[in-house]
Amino acid sequence: MRWLIRRVTRKGKNSVAYEEDIHYGDVLSVGRGSDQAIFIPDLRVALEHARITAVGAGRYKIESLILAGIRVNGDITYSTTAGAGAAVEIGTTRIQMLEPPADFDAGVEVSSIDKAEQKAVAQAKAKPTTLAQTWLARRGPAWVAFSLIAILFFALPLAAHYSSGWRETLPGLPIPSQNAWQTGKLQDAHHFFGNDCTQCHDKPFRWVRDESCTACHAATPAHADPVKFNLPELGNARCAHCHRDHNGTDGLIVRDQILCSECHQGLKERTGGSSQLANVSDFGNDHPQFKVDLPAWTADGKYAPVRTLLGTPGLQERSGLKFPHAVHVATKGIKSPDGEKVLECDSCHVADAGGAGMQPVDFETMCQQCHALTFDVTEPERQVPHAKVPEIIFTLDEFYARRALEGGVRDVTSPAIVQQRRRPGQALTRQEQFEALAWAREKSRQVAETLFTGSACTVCHAVSPGREAGDPWRVAPVRVAGQWYGKASFTHASHTTMQCADCHDASTSKASVDLLIPGIANCQQCHAGEHAKDKVPTTCIGCHGYHESDQLILAELQQRATAATPPAQRAQ
Amino acid sequence: MHDSFLTHARKLWLWVALIVLSGSLLAYVWHDPIGPANGGTWLGYTLGTIGALLIIWLMLFGVRKRTYANRVGSVRGWLSAHVYLGTALILIALLHSGFQFGWNLHTLALVLMLAVIFSGFFGVFAYLRYPALMTRNRDSASRDAMLEEIADIDQNALALADGIDRRIHAIVLRSIENTRLGGGVWALLTAHDSSDLALAQARQMLDKRELEGKDAAKLSTREMPTMFAMVDFLAGNADDKQAEALRKLIDLLSRKKSLAGRVARDIQLQSLMEIWLYFHVPLSFALLAALSAHIIVVFFYW
Repeated sequence: MRWLIRRVTRKGKNSVAYEEDIHYGDVLSVGRGSDQAIFIPDLRVALEHARITAVGAGRYKIESLILAGIRVNGDITYSTTAGAGAAVEIGTTRIQMLEPPADFDAGVEVSSIDKAEQKAVAQAKAKPTTLAQTWLARRGPAWVAFSLIAILFFALPLAAHYSSGWRETLPGLPIPSQNAWQTGKLQDAHHFFGNDCTQCHDKPFRWVRDESCTACHAATPAHADPVKFNLPELGNARCAHCHRDHNGTDGLIVRDQILCSECHQGLKERTGGSSQLANVSDFGNDHPQFKVDLPAWTADGKYAPVRTLLGTPGLQERSGLKFPHAVHVATKGIKSPDGEKVLECDSCHVADAGGAGMQPVDFETMCQQCHALTFDVTEPERQVPHAKVPEIIFTLDEFYARRALEGGVRDVTSPAIVQQRRRPGQALTRQEQFEALAWAREKSRQVAETLFTGSACTVCHAVSPGREAGDPWRVAPVRVAGQWYGKASFTHASHTTMQCADCHDASTSKASVDLLIPGIANCQQCHAGEHAKDKVPTTCIGCHGYHESDQLILAELQQRATAATPPAQRAQ
Repeated sequence: MHDSFLTHARKLWLWVALIVLSGSLLAYVWHDPIGPANGGTWLGYTLGTIGALLIIWLMLFGVRKRTYANRVGSVRGWLSAHVYLGTALILIALLHSGFQFGWNLHTLALVLMLAVIFSGFFGVFAYLRYPALMTRNRDSASRDAMLEEIADIDQNALALADGIDRRIHAIVLRSIENTRLGGGVWALLTAHDSSDLALAQARQMLDKRELEGKDAAKLSTREMPTMFAMVDFLAGNADDKQAEALRKLIDLLSRKKSLAGRVARDIQLQSLMEIWLYFHVPLSFALLAALSAHIIVVFFYW
């Protein structure tokens, strides 16, 4: 086999010299050994470095004879077959396979790789040595991150604000929806429309309007009438001034006392006397004494309580009842038909269903066992009904009419016909009947008078004679239980850990005119203002409501405000 | 003492940051808003405005450090302020939020901001720690000088190996081929260099052979990769002159190994000093988007 080995030598910049050798053999050995067909005097080359075999048709088998392998067309290999044009690089020498030239079976061209090329190759082969040379970048990711956030968290929710289609689609997708704009949890009650922000935020870059609230809260009362009290603040107070949603499940009910106290200062002067409310800023140290609704009645008997300041000297409770608490709750007990009986407060004062107040005292179940309404010694089991004057009279009339007509009454002052025992079936003459019933009427009247003025009713009640025939006796009206703090919402239910006597000093009260309703000092033992450290922090809405007007509702107030706004401004 | 960016201008910016922080904290404690503390109170708006302006200003540092013609303060002064005020931003933003968090855009902005700041903390750590380590590692040589020395050693090793045996020459040749410094991101950060680890172990084997005799070394050939075995085999069969040359060669290659390790460590330290920026910068732009959206949205839905 005839090989052409062409050696290319560079001389100067542009001058190239060729030197051609002929080699006979199947194999072309490459190495630093002097016996090699292609001798490369370079330390980076092994003595027997590689072997090139012509396999015919211009193809060459290139084999490495060393562990390091050889570089063919830039890749390290141990053995490969390549066509003409393939280049083997060993150290600074390049051996390029040639199409077999005329008269030859195979051919290679041996040339040296110049320095610039070596450097370029080395650079191309070099791995990155700084992060800047790797795939890492700053600018690209910055743009991507910026755009992603802007699209996902701003553009898409914004689209949902303007398009109901987006509004309905977005929450179903695994990407942020308008919920991502929520600054905090919505109040529980608002959850059912919480996905539709426009329910409250109807116009961009504007505060939530009160109309959005009253659209649902249509019956909510106003606080007070700004016309009556001439306080612009009343009309200007936005719902959102106090009620700020997105502050958690109970964040909507704001308890801060400053919300009330910033306005409840100098109300008398500011309203020109329309309001008589005293200054208040803190329950612990700046709150007026309580006012209670003392029982009172108009001349025609209508209940009309009088709001009275507690602590006024000589204050008395006119409940209409005579009742010494001290006697009844004496610790040694009180005489009863069943012997000594110790009464507790709840023997008579039973909480109502809601636990806030007390049920009315019930005579039949609580008093009558001792205070029996008996009226005739011969029949001690008989009692008149309680509290109904005409029925009492009627009961007595019937009782004595029957006794007179039956006869056998053991009363020496009565007529003979009444005392006389009758045989069964014995009829009275008309004259005898008149006589007997006349006695019965008189007896009934006498007994009634005794009941109403002596033995029974007056023990507890004030009784006065009636003014006309059908109205023989008048019993003063009674009110012993009810709402004492008319403008505050006290509830016994929250105070069941207390003893009754902690607040109501009944054990020393000898007369029912003693007012046993405690004043503010009693509450302040445990309660103080918002910033209390050693007491129960109690702000205004602990006892008072804001939406308490009984004449005006919020929606009405807004209508008035809208009507007062000139149409030009309204359009904005 | 050397004036680092932390001690610049007698810690002026540390004091500025502390004053801003204590002012914000005092205001927060004193402030008694209606309802829970949040970004919608007057203090919330104030702190939010301060925070937003700070973020914009902190991002402008990226512009300032590139404009060499700029005469407004030194870059070191800017960096000092950047670090201290950036740190102060953590508390300012938390106070602005009233410590209310949720799965929403607003907390996302906070989280991104914290991510940017904490990646910056790593940068501060890197700038304080790695330059000294780099200097010590280089041992008053530059990386290029070390690379040149490696190239020289390669040449000398080849010459030496050639004088021993051609198989040894082939091994050394392969070792040179295999010496690659640098690589992918992970390789840069973990100081991975693929220069031949076998050589140091080969020397151990040579020592072992001299101490314990041939048999001990031969026993373990099965467990050894080809190259160890070859070195061992050769050492076993070499005459004294060859063994002497082999020992020289191994010393030479060990020196190369140590140099290559130092270059790799140099590359690693430099990469560690830069890697955080690849988080710090993109995250800060994500923050810019979230912050802008946050500000627009809270007023959009006022």
